[in-house]
Amino acid sequence: MEMLEEIQKLKDEATSALGTLKSTDDAENFRLRYLSRKGALAQLFEKLKEVPKENKPALGKSLNELRTFLENEFETSRNNLGSKSPTSDGSLDLSIPGRKRYTGRKHPLTQTADEIKRIFTNIGFGIADGPEIEDDYHNFEALNFPPDHPARDMQDTFFVKSEEGKYVLRTHTSGVQIRVMENNKPPVRVMMPGRVYRNEAISARSYCLFHQVEGLYVDKNVSLAELKGTIAYFAKEFFNEEAKLRFRPSYFPFTEPSAEVDVNCFICGGKGCKICKYSGWLEIMGCGMVDPNVFKAVKYDENEVSGYAFGMGIERLALLRYGIDDIRLFFENDLRFLNQF
Amino acid sequence: MKISRKWLQQLVDLSGVKDDDIASRLTMLGVEVESYENFATKYDGFIVGVVLEVEKHPNADKLKVCKVDVGGEVKSIVCGAPNVAAGQKVPVGLVGAMVPHNQHDPDGKPFQLTRAKIRGVESEGMICSANELGLGDDKSGIMVFDGAANQGTPLSDYLGLNDTVFEISLTPNRADCLSHLGVARELAAAFSKKPIQKRVKITEDGPSINESVKVDVAAQDLCPRYSARLVRKVKVGPSPKWLKDGVESVGIRSINNVVDATNFVMLELGQPLHAFDLKRITGHKIIVRRPAKDETKFTTLDAKERNITPDMVMICDREKIVAIGGVMGGMNSEISEDTTEVLIESANFNQSSIRRTSKALGLSTEASYRFERGVDPNLTIRALDRVSEIIAQTSGGKLAPGIIDIAATKFLPKRVELHVDHVNRLLGTRLATGEIIRVLESIEIPCDKKSETVIMCSVPTFRGDIERDVDLIEEVGRVYGYEQIADSFQTKLNFDTRFHGNTSLDELRDLLAGAGFNEIMTNSLQPADVAGFHDTAFVALANPISEDMAAMRTTLLPGALQTVGVNLAHGLKDMKLFEIGRVYVVSEKEQVIGRFVESPKVSIVLSGAADPTSFDRKESKFDIFDLKTEIERLLTFLKLDSWDFISYDTTKEYEQSLKLFVNGMELGIGGRVGKAALQKLSVDQDVYFAELDLTSLLALRKSTKRFKTLPKFPFASIDLSFIVEGQTPAAEMMNALRNAAGEMFRDISVFDIYSGEGIPDGKKSIAFSMALGSEERTLNDGDIAGFIEKAEKTMKVKFSAELRRQKN
Ligand SMILES: [Zn+2]
Repeated sequence: MEMLEEIQKLKDEATSALGTLKSTDDAENFRLRYLSRKGALAQLFEKLKEVPKENKPALGKSLNELRTFLENEFETSRNNLGSKSPTSDGSLDLSIPGRKRYTGRKHPLTQTADEIKRIFTNIGFGIADGPEIEDDYHNFEALNFPPDHPARDMQDTFFVKSEEGKYVLRTHTSGVQIRVMENNKPPVRVMMPGRVYRNEAISARSYCLFHQVEGLYVDKNVSLAELKGTIAYFAKEFFNEEAKLRFRPSYFPFTEPSAEVDVNCFICGGKGCKICKYSGWLEIMGCGMVDPNVFKAVKYDENEVSGYAFGMGIERLALLRYGIDDIRLFFENDLRFLNQF
Repeated sequence: MKISRKWLQQLVDLSGVKDDDIASRLTMLGVEVESYENFATKYDGFIVGVVLEVEKHPNADKLKVCKVDVGGEVKSIVCGAPNVAAGQKVPVGLVGAMVPHNQHDPDGKPFQLTRAKIRGVESEGMICSANELGLGDDKSGIMVFDGAANQGTPLSDYLGLNDTVFEISLTPNRADCLSHLGVARELAAAFSKKPIQKRVKITEDGPSINESVKVDVAAQDLCPRYSARLVRKVKVGPSPKWLKDGVESVGIRSINNVVDATNFVMLELGQPLHAFDLKRITGHKIIVRRPAKDETKFTTLDAKERNITPDMVMICDREKIVAIGGVMGGMNSEISEDTTEVLIESANFNQSSIRRTSKALGLSTEASYRFERGVDPNLTIRALDRVSEIIAQTSGGKLAPGIIDIAATKFLPKRVELHVDHVNRLLGTRLATGEIIRVLESIEIPCDKKSETVIMCSVPTFRGDIERDVDLIEEVGRVYGYEQIADSFQTKLNFDTRFHGNTSLDELRDLLAGAGFNEIMTNSLQPADVAGFHDTAFVALANPISEDMAAMRTTLLPGALQTVGVNLAHGLKDMKLFEIGRVYVVSEKEQVIGRFVESPKVSIVLSGAADPTSFDRKESKFDIFDLKTEIERLLTFLKLDSWDFISYDTTKEYEQSLKLFVNGMELGIGGRVGKAALQKLSVDQDVYFAELDLTSLLALRKSTKRFKTLPKFPFASIDLSFIVEGQTPAAEMMNALRNAAGEMFRDISVFDIYSGEGIPDGKKSIAFSMALGSEERTLNDGDIAGFIEKAEKTMKVKFSAELRRQKN
């Protein structure tokens, strides 16, 4: 498609030349150069004769459009030559770019969280918040992590120095689920975004803290099928209409049944690449049906209601969505990074 | 955990099933296969060859040209290894083979062998090093095999590597899959196959075990079952190839025929076993008990002295501890070359007890890992029989008749009732009773149909994780297949309006981003001295990753300065940043969570140019007034109508500083950051920083917006200029003018400050621009003159100010 590039090149060149017309001489030169019978435009029309037949209609259309555009703009510029004030002529160079000012923007994690919140508030979810320094009860025990249970190893935990009791930096926002249910009667439909901590060595793939959004819906007759449908809606909104999901059985103490959700890798289209570890799937969240022991802890009647919960890492989703390869970039706040989003 | 296909095939028929299908079906059953490696195909195109001749390469000193017999055919191969010699049996890759590891590539990427001319001599293959084959680290020279190798034998056959090994990542609930048996069970369900039941062949001989050994379980709460067998006349030695290959194929080091046998059975069935040298068990008596008061140290097999605590379970003889139950044996009773009588322990230990012990010792072993997740208590005897069979077979040992078996109780299947409608309600399915039964029985959970809609399930003891009906529902869901459950999205849109989140924070972010600020997010963990410098009541972590992150931040300042430093280091000098985040302190009083207070703050960070240089204007740097501008922007946005700044020269953080007060409450602090703090981060330009408390600010926010009728009459603007003492604060003068204007006051600003020529020494001229107005009429000259007269008088009295000129 060489020809198409030439058309575009001519358009760019002629447009910028139009901006510099100052006198009738300039205008005549422009006409001769671009619009005359031997001008650049005419030469391109000449070339059109040689292109393969199947390309002719499209290229011909582009060329005609260019001719109309140039002729109109040339007319306007020529008519305006007389109206330019003599003082501005030459003394003020309008081609100088405007003065630089700060363009602010929200952090990519805020942008991602906002998007997730929008998707879920659209279908009736409220938004709740909770403390980052949590007690053991809300971070673990009420969520059906018994003391001395290997499930506690799933999350490396920071403990806070304290003489009065056992406090942790929350390892997930799930404690907010408990707080919301303790203080509100069902039905409950709420999103819980926030900062969480994991005692893991800092690397390109993990940081000592990250942000999570959890969702909780408790009502009569909430089912796994409903959870699947809701997550499918989310994936279509957040990724794209073609997003395909895979629900893999998994384990979280506070849900039963539990699943891990994978989306088909949009980087390689499922063929397998480095990002999806050659599986064709990208893990995006954990979810499941609220465990009856959690309902017991918050004094909900497990025979009356059922519910689903899901949780995702905002960093992980942002990494995937933007193709970022190092989680530490989010917290370095390099403006060259922040200004890309 | 590694699982071998060859091993699985002993336990379930997998003929015709592809590796890829095994991996994907296991993953979809919740037994996640992270990766797998097929060693048979990995070495396609590699064979054992015999080097017939070695000649020097005509064009290169370090290369040799070898004639290699690859089984009926002689290939000419160029080789650079220093150790190549005629007569060697070596691994040869033929043209087309994929060499697993490229020694010359930094990532070691595999590459395909092609027919190539090397310095002018054609090479029809490659003789490989262990490193190139991915079989070890040695890349100093080619691998050389012993005499048993035959030329032409496929390399995978010679190495016994005709296996596929799956790397499995298990969630903590699936202890039943910590063995080949468990994974085979899942596969039997996945591919509708029957597990292979192998008959164990043992012959007992000699006096009964009970005549040689006594066992006493004193701590039955920690050890619900202890079973043991005795093998006499054992000859300890290296394991036969099948046993060695078996344990090594899943990454366990081969030690000797006895230890390997115990490991093999653990890997096969999931029951950890321990072998004692009976000779070294004093009194031939095993006592399972808690340690005595004076027993505080014990040396484990790995030659490390361990500190033991009173709640651990110890395996002891009459005199001493011989093992830490369920975790690791001791040096003092270890199997050695002269062991002849082997006592095999096959026990079951309390999950939480083992977990606490393992945590306390900082020691996680294959055994403790399994016990803390839960081992089937009914496995002890089966495992003993299997290991006895292997030891007898590989060491010539004679199995003593009888088994010692001390159990706290009979371990029976759990009876759990399952209601079909509960299954369908929770999963959102319409499964029939028969379908549910079929699914559960496929994973060896026998079912009894109590009625059309109620099923009684007998959960076998190997599924300790299944206790309730929901646990069974999960089993039904995962085995039936989550992908078979149709999505439903008919959510009734009952919006939950009780939870609004903090929309004010979202609005502030929008405001600041719109005002040209980049939002930043910084680490909320800090060094303790930094956190403590700003507030001594900081929150400290009991187990920090490092000293750099041992405390929770008490202010957003250090993160902001670090950000400025990072950007300066990259040559970016102009910054306008904000952060909305929490700071954390310990308070005097009890709070919702302990005594911890988390306060949301907003920070403003200005450094570099307020207005960058442009073609016609000089750059102007940020100063303290830009900081005030931004703070006031926030306050105006929040509809606060009055506030005060109190300024200080120096505080511990700032050189020029301001405190913000609203309604007498301190809401924030800011200023030009002190040089000392800047130097620490090599920041060599001014940084203006402010941090405001959002809890109080947002509480003061005027939330109800009421429309006020627009003014009907235009404002009058007047400029007033006074000469006053140089020290007189502008803010106070503005207040006085405001009061003088009373009802007429609309707006005021400073538009000029001047001292020097024409102004007496020590004095300054300060000019204000004011807007005055009235609700009733347009102000006339008389109104204005009246105000000016009043203003002049007031200012004279209050500040000894002299009115310079007036203009309207
Ligand atoms: Zn991919």
